[in-house]
Amino acid sequence: MATRLKEIDAVVIGMGWAGGIMARELTLAGLNVVGLERGPDHRPAQDFAMPGIRDELKYQQRLELMGDNSIDTITFRNQPAQMALPIRRWSAFLPGEGVGGTGNHWGGSHWRFQPDDFRLRTYLQTRYGAKSVPDTMAIQDWPVGYDELEPYYDRFDKVCGVSGKAGNLKGRKIAGGNVFEGPRASEYPNRPMPHSEGGAIFAAAAKNLGYHPFPVPFSAASAPYKNIYGVAMGACQECGFCTRTACEASAKASSVTTIMPALRQEPKFELRTRVFVSRLVYDKAARRVTGVLYTDLKTGQEYEQPANIVVLSAFVFSNTHMLLHSGIGTPYDHATGTGLVGKNYCYQFEAPAAAFFPDKELNPYMGSPGGGVVIDDFNNASFDHAGLGFFGGGYIIASSGGSPPINGRSVPEGTPAWGSQWKRETVKWYYHSVHFNTQGSVYGHRDNYMDLDPTYKDALGRPLLRLTYNGTDNDHAMSRYLLSRVENVIKAMGPAHYEMRPRPKNFTIVPYQSTHNAGGTIMGSDPGNSVVNRYLQSWDAHNLFVMGASTFPQQHGYNPTGTLGALALWSADKIKNSYLKNPGPLVHA
Amino acid sequence: MRDRITSITLGALLLSPPALAADAAHGKQLFAACVACHSETPDAQGPSLKGVAGRKPGTLEDFRYSNAMKRADFVWDAANLRDYLHDPQGKVKGNHMPFSGYPDVKDAEDVAAYLQTYK
Repeated sequence: MATRLKEIDAVVIGMGWAGGIMARELTLAGLNVVGLERGPDHRPAQDFAMPGIRDELKYQQRLELMGDNSIDTITFRNQPAQMALPIRRWSAFLPGEGVGGTGNHWGGSHWRFQPDDFRLRTYLQTRYGAKSVPDTMAIQDWPVGYDELEPYYDRFDKVCGVSGKAGNLKGRKIAGGNVFEGPRASEYPNRPMPHSEGGAIFAAAAKNLGYHPFPVPFSAASAPYKNIYGVAMGACQECGFCTRTACEASAKASSVTTIMPALRQEPKFELRTRVFVSRLVYDKAARRVTGVLYTDLKTGQEYEQPANIVVLSAFVFSNTHMLLHSGIGTPYDHATGTGLVGKNYCYQFEAPAAAFFPDKELNPYMGSPGGGVVIDDFNNASFDHAGLGFFGGGYIIASSGGSPPINGRSVPEGTPAWGSQWKRETVKWYYHSVHFNTQGSVYGHRDNYMDLDPTYKDALGRPLLRLTYNGTDNDHAMSRYLLSRVENVIKAMGPAHYEMRPRPKNFTIVPYQSTHNAGGTIMGSDPGNSVVNRYLQSWDAHNLFVMGASTFPQQHGYNPTGTLGALALWSADKIKNSYLKNPGPLVHA
Repeated sequence: MRDRITSITLGALLLSPPALAADAAHGKQLFAACVACHSETPDAQGPSLKGVAGRKPGTLEDFRYSNAMKRADFVWDAANLRDYLHDPQGKVKGNHMPFSGYPDVKDAEDVAAYLQTYK
C-alpha cells in the first residue's frame, strides 16, 4: 500500500534539461515544486571533479552516466512481424540518468530548427505540390511557429551561455554565421570556440565550393559567463573529454551546471533522487492527473505524491511509456494506423565519414565539440529537392580534436581491432584524421512507433516499452545524398585516404549512432493529430505537461536539445501567465 | 652577439620588478574566470580563496586537494600567486585545477594583487 504524501503545487518527473527548466521557472512563479529523479544526484564538486572525470574507461566505455538497464530498458525490433528483444546495454543511443539526465553527457551542439521545419507539411506541399508527400510519411506541421518560439530560443541561449556566431540577426544575413537559420533577436551570448584544425581545412574547401561554413553553436561558455539564473559558468578549457562525460570546468551547459546551483538554494524546491515513478494517477472523468506513484529505490517503499501540476520530463522512452502504462490517451495501433500515444517515433539519421592527412598535425588530444565547422546548405529548406526523390536533409560537420585515448583512435577500415598492426596504424593516423558527420532528419513513418511489450517487464513489473524502428527509403536516400555532398568537400580537402561510412539498410542497436530519439507524445493542433497541444499540455489531462523531444512531430536535420529547451521555457511561460490563473485546457479542441 | 644581448635584456626585464604596479581592480574583473568553481559555496568545485594570501597551498581542511598541491612547499605570496595563475601546471605540476592560466603575465599579476585583498 502506497504511503500518501502531502499534496504539492507541482511535481516534476525527471531532472534533466526540461525538468530542470520547469522546476526553476515554476519556483520563480511561487510554486512549491518536488523534483523526482530515478538516478543519483550529481554534485560537480564530488562527481565531476578532476582527475576522476577524465576516466575515459569509466565514463565513455562503461557508461557511468547512463540509465541502468537492469532496472528499466526498452525492447527493440526492426519490423512489426518480428519479436522484440530487450536492450541489455545501451549502445546506439545513450539515455542518461541522474540529475542532469542526458544533458550531462551531451556534446553541446545547440541548434534551432529552420522556420520551414515548423510548417513542414505545408512547406513541402506548397513548394513541391499537394500530392508530393507520400501517404506513408506521417509528417505534420508543428502547432507553434518559429517566430513564436524565437524569444524562448533566445532565452535558452542565455541559460546555456551558448558560444557561436549568428548568421541571421533580425533578417540581416551575416557571412561567417549560418545564413540558413531563422532570424535571431540577438547574437550568441559568447563568441564561437576556435576552429579545430580539421574544421579549418574543411571550412576553406567548403567555401571554395560555394558553401557557407560557420562554427557549430556550442552549448558551453567560451569565456566566463553568468547566465539568466545568476549561475556562473567557467570557460571551456578544451580538455579533450566532453561527450559521454560531464564538464570539469562548469563550462558545458547542463541542468546540473546552469540551473541546479540556483535551485539548490531555492526553499520552494525539494529534490528526491533514486525514486522510480511507476504511474501517473489519472482521473479520467475529471480529465486530470491527481498525482504520481513512485517507488523509493533505496527502501522499496511505495509513495503516492499528489500534485496540482504534473510535469513529465523523463526522456522520449519514459514519457511515452508513462502515458501508455497510465492509460492516458489512445495508444497507437499499427494495424489500423489509429491512436496517437507512441506514434511517429523518429530517430536521427547520422552517417559519418573520415579522412586522413598524413602531412598535417591535427592535435587530437585537445579541443572541444565547439571546434567543429558546419555547412547547412543541405538542410530541409536550404536547397531544392525537385527530382531528388526524397525530402529532408541535415547539416554537415567536420572536426578534429577532442579524441580521447581509448575511443578517439580513428584508423582506416580493414585495420585489425587489436594487435601489433592496430598499434602501428594507431600511431600512424592518430594525429592526422578528420571526422565528419551528417545530421540527417527522420520523418515519421507509419511502421515506426512505440507500444507496450507483450513479454518483457521492468524491475517494477511493468511491461517494457517496445520500439519498432527501421530506416525508411526516404531517409536512406536523404543520407546517401548528404554523404555525396560531404564526399565532394572531402575530395577538395586533398586527403591521402578517406572513407564514407553509410548506415546499413537495417537499423541496428550497435554501435553508437545518436541519442536523438523523438516522437511518441507528439504535439499538434488538435486531439485528432496529437497527444499534447501547442503548450505541451496533455489533451487528456489539463494539469499534465509533457516535455522533451517526445513532443516533436518529426525529427529535423539538427540536434534536438535547443528546441526542447525553448519549448520548455515557452510552456513554462504559458503556465505562469495563463494556467495558474485559470487552470484548464489552454487550447480548446 | 646581438641575440645574446637581446636575451639578456629580456631576461632582466622578466626578473626585474614590474614597471607598472599591479592593478587589483583589473584583477577583480579577471577573477570572473574563477568564480564558477571558487564560488565560496559548500558545493564549490574549487577551494575557498578568501584569505589565500599568506596561506600554504593545499591546507584547507574541507577541500580535497591533489597530492601535488598538498606537497607544494611555499607560501601564496604575490610572486607565487602570479606564477601559478600564469602557468598552473608549470608552477605546481600535476595539480587538478582545470584552468590553463592567464597567458599574459600582467593579467596574472593583477589577479594575484586582487587575491591579496580578498579576505
